[in-house]
Amino acid sequence: MKQTLMGNDAIAWGLIHANVDMISGYPGTPSSEILSEVQKIKHKLNLDIYAEWGTNEKVGFEVAYAGAIAGRRTCATMKQVGLNVASDALMSAAYIGNLGGMLLIAADDPGFHSSQTEQDSRVFAKFARIPVLDPATPQDAYDLTKYGVELSEKFQIPVMLRPVMRVCHAREIIEMDDETNFKPNKGEFKRDVPRWGAVPRVGRFAQGVEQLNRMEVIKEYNWDHLLKKEFDKCEGKNRVLIITSGTGYGFAKETLSDLNLEADVVKVLMPYPLPVEQMRDRFKSYDKVLVVEEPYPCVEEQIASPNVYGKNTNSIHNIDEMSKEEILKAFVNIGLYEGENIYATPPSLDFEVETRPPALCPGCPHRDVYYAITKVFKKKKAIYPSDIGCYTLAIAQGAIDSILCMGASVSMASGFALSDPDKTVVATIGDGTFFHSGIAPLINAVYQNHKFILVILDNSTIAMTGRQTTPSRENKNIDIKKIVEGMGIECMEHHYSYEMQDNVDFFREVKKIHADATGPTVVVVREFCILDGERAPEFIPNIFAKVDPELCIACDQCTTVYKCPPMAYNEDGVIEIDPFLCAGCGGCLDVVCPTDAFVQDFDYLKRGN
Amino acid sequence: MKYQIVIAGFGGQGVVFLVKVLAICAGNRNIAFLGTENHGMSQRGGSVSCDIKIGDFTNPVIDKNQADLMIALEKNEGLRNLAFLKLSGTLVTNAKDKDKYPELPFKGFAKIDAFKKAENGEFPIQGLNVYMLGFALVNDKNFPFSVQEVKDAITQINTKVAEQNIVILEQAMRDAKESK
Repeated sequence: MKQTLMGNDAIAWGLIHANVDMISGYPGTPSSEILSEVQKIKHKLNLDIYAEWGTNEKVGFEVAYAGAIAGRRTCATMKQVGLNVASDALMSAAYIGNLGGMLLIAADDPGFHSSQTEQDSRVFAKFARIPVLDPATPQDAYDLTKYGVELSEKFQIPVMLRPVMRVCHAREIIEMDDETNFKPNKGEFKRDVPRWGAVPRVGRFAQGVEQLNRMEVIKEYNWDHLLKKEFDKCEGKNRVLIITSGTGYGFAKETLSDLNLEADVVKVLMPYPLPVEQMRDRFKSYDKVLVVEEPYPCVEEQIASPNVYGKNTNSIHNIDEMSKEEILKAFVNIGLYEGENIYATPPSLDFEVETRPPALCPGCPHRDVYYAITKVFKKKKAIYPSDIGCYTLAIAQGAIDSILCMGASVSMASGFALSDPDKTVVATIGDGTFFHSGIAPLINAVYQNHKFILVILDNSTIAMTGRQTTPSRENKNIDIKKIVEGMGIECMEHHYSYEMQDNVDFFREVKKIHADATGPTVVVVREFCILDGERAPEFIPNIFAKVDPELCIACDQCTTVYKCPPMAYNEDGVIEIDPFLCAGCGGCLDVVCPTDAFVQDFDYLKRGN
Repeated sequence: MKYQIVIAGFGGQGVVFLVKVLAICAGNRNIAFLGTENHGMSQRGGSVSCDIKIGDFTNPVIDKNQADLMIALEKNEGLRNLAFLKLSGTLVTNAKDKDKYPELPFKGFAKIDAFKKAENGEFPIQGLNVYMLGFALVNDKNFPFSVQEVKDAITQINTKVAEQNIVILEQAMRDAKESK
């Protein structure tokens, strides 16, 4: 059956058509839509599937892994940096293995579109010694999802699927199974303590040896079932062979066609483990072998030979995502192409356009809270560690000094407080991130009496990745305030107000309390996400703003410190509010402008907006 | 057929919706296509551009100098992405009347102040994306899909708002013909 699908939707269908009935993970761009699409299909077709978010990737992995130990078919989804969090569990699971198939999906983000790092999860699979599949297109993603689950069950080892952003968020017509005959599996845990109980050393040594042997077997399998036929397709008339993995295939094929060049192209579907000897044997018929893969030289390092060119020989770009221009340059570097760069920008178009840096949404309460924080805790006397989530965008407001990884704002607040005690440390973290990995470092701070302020921005949603629900909104409504109180400290609470003075007053109070504290001062600010269709309407006052041009003195306060996207200078040098972007939050009407140039626009709704 | 389209705008303008419309048009005619979305971290107000390559392609990203058409929902977002358009291509853009526009080397160029029309209440601002699609339908003589195919796709995506969207599409096409 033909369907127009995005890569992540194709993966979701692949899971269902592979009878995967337990899916757990943590949202993260570009992986998030996989689990939410499974949830949609589950409800539409009334399927018996567990498809829920875990509190973090490690939890998600472990829930899914236990299901696979008990014989169910399972999947854990996450993004590449999420795999770092789950890696502790992965490394052990790769020794121990599973009974039911388990697919680990780690979606990579070459080009840093929405990640702190560009790491390559295929290398992580190699590190853990588990097979990894690298889809080139949404169609591959569907096929390899099903294939990966089967493979995992066959070899009793978790199998990784590693799509990149240009697969997850690409769209095409997919050929998929005509019917959905979903058959959930019955789990049955069989006690086997020597296998499932990872106690050193005897049992683990045996499993370590098994792991090595298993990889040898899978290498042969990779050759017999996947790679050999790819090499056999090559006619051997060309002097250059291009070995590709994932999206490298599509980019290389198109560049060859655009430039009218001939080369053999081999598509590697399983970049680890590779049957290196068999591959090298085929390299002999070519002058040069170019490896096109992203982002790390995963295949290249395994097949290294004197005539193999790639990132390690500086023949192709080493950072940033794939583009045909980079492949063209690689062709020039290895002497396959000598012509002009057809992908170069014409000189006449080489002009600068005003940037539109990432910013918090208009109407987002985070902006007002950060504004109030920086108003009360002055920059010169404060350090602002923050964390991963929408609120990270307040870096544009000058309200954030450091961002490392999920949960690090709290532990780094400890570190800053210890190392620079003359400054007030005001750390910020979202509720989703607090649940993910902010709780343990806060326990540490209480345990060690570290003195800082932690502001938990609770909008009850994992907003940046698509508004998945957090533990505070499902079943038991787990309350952050009570978690903090359970640590034996008081938790101050504030309900966000669109009247800025209220927010400022609250943080003045926090400052006073903190002055006398010996350990951490924790506050939770109850907010909402402006994009949350369920909750936002009850909070947004629909007070639209405009600028009184007589009062605007072009002081930059709103464009540099408040930073709301609708605000920009017009050609008269006066701030103007873009009526199409203004969310009607009224946040700018109070405190923000030193000359009170923001005034309510009573005509706004009359203009048909 | 091979036809590559870049759609540029900012978060909240419905860029992704247009890609879906074009993807469905291609799917309905069973023409292969590859599309991709490229958004930064901001949900509202940040730059967003999407590529759709209709025909026999193997990667979803449009490289520089390759696109046949760019639909820009805002002036600067269009200018930012100009390098992707080939010189024989067409740029269709929403830009304010008072905006100064640079000399551009493209074969096709059409602009309209859709913001002003929305502000005057001629169509609801939420329909800006569909309005610009209608404007492109008239101004790009090589546009790969017929008006009816576009209307069908709009209906397929969301029947609830389809009627209003089709009214906006038709209005944009009338405006485009009048301004020619």
